[in-house]
Amino acid sequence: MPRTNELTLLPKLPLLTTESADEFDALCDAFEQEIKPRGIIEQMYVHDICSIVWEILRLRRCKVVIINSAFRSALANLLVQLRQPGQQDFEAWDPARKLAHAWFTDKEAKKQVSETLGRFDLDESAIEAEAVRKSSSELELLDRMLTSLESRRNKALGCVAEYRASLAHQLRESAERIIDGKGVLRLEDAASERSTAA
Amino acid sequence: MASERQIAANRRNARKSTGPRSGAGRKRASSNAYRHGLSLSITSTAAFAKQLDKLARKIAGDSEDAMVLERARAIAQAELDLARVRRAKVALIERASAFGEFDPPRSFTSVTRIIRFLNAFYPGRVALPKPLDSSATMPRQEPGRSAEAIRRVLPDLRKLDRYERRAAAQRERAVLDLCDRIKYGNSS
Repeated sequence: MPRTNELTLLPKLPLLTTESADEFDALCDAFEQEIKPRGIIEQMYVHDICSIVWEILRLRRCKVVIINSAFRSALANLLVQLRQPGQQDFEAWDPARKLAHAWFTDKEAKKQVSETLGRFDLDESAIEAEAVRKSSSELELLDRMLTSLESRRNKALGCVAEYRASLAHQLRESAERIIDGKGVLRLEDAASERSTAA
Repeated sequence: MASERQIAANRRNARKSTGPRSGAGRKRASSNAYRHGLSLSITSTAAFAKQLDKLARKIAGDSEDAMVLERARAIAQAELDLARVRRAKVALIERASAFGEFDPPRSFTSVTRIIRFLNAFYPGRVALPKPLDSSATMPRQEPGRSAEAIRRVLPDLRKLDRYERRAAAQRERAVLDLCDRIKYGNSS
């Protein structure tokens, strides 16, 4: 559904070619329904929140893929470390790489890896741990960026509340001014002015 | 503590180090800190000036108060700055996804020289090595490709994050200023 609000004035968030514009619009709709922004400033904050959340999702996806893609070399590392006694590491690398490659598709290879890990009281979580260890520098950077984005998202949510409270305060003051009659011509004043003139 | 003589020498030397003097030198030095242009004001590119005015007008609403308009302009500017940083982030990832890296191989010129030199001794037997194709090391399928592109540009994305936070903070300050102006401007 095309977006037909004040967001048309706001710059659109550029998406990666692999990302879905419909999904982004659905995210924006969900936030708009939740926050119900009024006026361009609130729209701006909601747009900001959507952009930040979209980026958080992007980085979280990336985090998972980084760990997954480190699995093969992590498994090879692990297999070299768990090599047969007396076997040199340079002898162990080639079969370890082949076994790690086959582990993704071949049941036999999976069984063989499980047995090797089992000999040392390890299971498949050891592969994941090694994959995380291997990608730790990137994951740390990603985590920092995610923390920064999450704090900005929370701040933006706080800003909406703050702005709304400030607007409510202004409206209350304006209403009180009108009720108090400041700036409103009173009937008796007008009548007295007429009698003075006469 | 520095002696009188040392202080005098320092002052003399300081007078000599007053930066570039020629017009060309000053012009060049003025762009010393330029890296990607993200700290430049958005109004410095004419294409955005119109968009900025439109957005500022929308933020200011019906107000003709010059101060309100000025603050609305500050909000619009920060908003467009934010958008610019976000565009830069996506462009970086897309470029890394397409080419695998940003910088072309740097040693090309020197390798050519080495090969010319070797060719002088062994004519026709030395060939130029093919430059490494960084995109070949990228995963072919999604989401692996995008994730790898993000991984490769993470340090750059982190730098851009700083600009994004700054623009967001500027916008927040400008919104608070606008609220104050409307609040106190109305009551005065």
